Amino acid sequence: MKKLFIIPFLFVTILGYSQNTDTTQIYKKRVLENIEIDFLTSYYAQDGDNAAVTGGIGTEKLTDFTPTIVVSIPLSDDNVLVIDAGISAYSSASSSNLDPFDAGASSQGEGTTGSPWVQSSGSSTKDNWVNGNVNYSHSADDRNTIWSANINFATEYDYTSFGFGGSFTKLFNQKNTEISIKGNVFYDTWKPEYPTEIDSYLEAGQNINSGFFRGVDILNQNGSVIDKNGSDIWSPFNTTLIENKARNTYSLSLSFSQIINKNAQFSLFFDLVQQEGWLSNPMQRVYFSDKNNYYIGNAASIPNYTSPENTDVFQLADDIERLPSTRFKIPIGMRFNYFINETFVLRTYYRFYSDSWGVSSHTANLELPIKISGKFTLYPTYRYYTQTAADYFAPYEQLLSSQEFYSSDYDLSAFNSSQYGLGVTYTDIFTDFHLSIFGLKSIDFKYSYYKRNSGLNAGIVSLGFKFVMDK
Amino acid sequence: MIKKLSIFILLISSLASCVAVKQYEKVNLNDPDMQLSTKKSNRFETNFQSYRESAAGANGGKTGGGCGCN
Repeated sequence: MKKLFIIPFLFVTILGYSQNTDTTQIYKKRVLENIEIDFLTSYYAQDGDNAAVTGGIGTEKLTDFTPTIVVSIPLSDDNVLVIDAGISAYSSASSSNLDPFDAGASSQGEGTTGSPWVQSSGSSTKDNWVNGNVNYSHSADDRNTIWSANINFATEYDYTSFGFGGSFTKLFNQKNTEISIKGNVFYDTWKPEYPTEIDSYLEAGQNINSGFFRGVDILNQNGSVIDKNGSDIWSPFNTTLIENKARNTYSLSLSFSQIINKNAQFSLFFDLVQQEGWLSNPMQRVYFSDKNNYYIGNAASIPNYTSPENTDVFQLADDIERLPSTRFKIPIGMRFNYFINETFVLRTYYRFYSDSWGVSSHTANLELPIKISGKFTLYPTYRYYTQTAADYFAPYEQLLSSQEFYSSDYDLSAFNSSQYGLGVTYTDIFTDFHLSIFGLKSIDFKYSYYKRNSGLNAGIVSLGFKFVMDK
Repeated sequence: MIKKLSIFILLISSLASCVAVKQYEKVNLNDPDMQLSTKKSNRFETNFQSYRESAAGANGGKTGGGCGCN
């Protein structure tokens, strides 16, 4: 572990001191001429059959609308303040099944039903993730040294985050070479929400004759009503919930950029990320193959439980997802851009990723901006991604209770995905169109379709407007 | 792996001593499509990819933290 930090730091230090031979006297241009405002928004929709909240099966239908504003303010010739704020308003069928029985079974008695394939009307159906970030940067007079500091905050109904960080960037070799180092820390806290049957079981003092379960029949795998005072009864495998609600992330990022010639340049990115705390998601159920199954709902639907035809029976969880309290991640990425001619530019990206949970992955991205006129650029994109499974993942009903860590979250499974996109950019460097004192500099619009071989598919539309304040 | 990575980084860093392109020769390099970063509006794609995939980082964006996602 020590080597991971020593060698890159030596590299940065040696290059920083040995290559600063740029003695060119240049006119000091303002880092940012005028206030710029970016209005960004996206709409995302997905669907699939492997919801983690319901143990690896069930609807993954989700929609998300995110408006964001980014304001960049030149405080002086050398200093820039950037304020970034956004809201992510999402609606999720799988999150709604935190309580699949629609806010309490006991109020419904014998008619209580639920299904991993049907969205319930519980309060966890919708939520808003709100975030804000403030970044301050200072550039030296020769513009070859830049440092910055940032703070950020985010919150949603079951999670709060506070973070801060800083970066240092050095340019040399007549600004043909750039090295940057960045550090970030996130101090996050869960406000945990648990599957309703586990939460209610503990609230009822581990008594399935009272509270949530009063008056509600629990069925075994054969569809027979169990004797709640007998020996063959349902109970969570582990009644210990989150004790330490902290979830902290520490990251160190190094980047290196180099101009190769008048038409080509590339950059390397290298991150070291350490996460500590409760890294599982307490909402996500697991089911063990070596434990009996119990249900609430229509007995006749039990044989069809894993099919979307099941609309009225729900399997009680064996436990919540449990994962190690530490995770170490190393992503390494590279970009290469080549100016082919006045019409075509080639943009490429590759990333290798590996972490301590056993996941390794490859990402490859191709983009081909095509200038169809002086103001319009089309850019088709293709992205391929493949990953191996985490050591602790298994599908629905394939985990064992003897395991120390377990998850049926398909985001940790082995899969590959393809993403196809088409975007268009409108650029007007003279900002002919104005809204009050702000001129419209550019509009970006893009649609992408994402498909995973596990069955998840998604589409996203992104839109961005950049305005520049008049002088 | 660490040794190979360190050697690779040191070799790449030797490119820093390549012939420098002068500021007035950077017309093509300064094209907006040649930026070594993604467009601001692409952040939403990067975010959903980090939620739905285990990998994150090494792209100038989020590396972790800020949400209860992977």
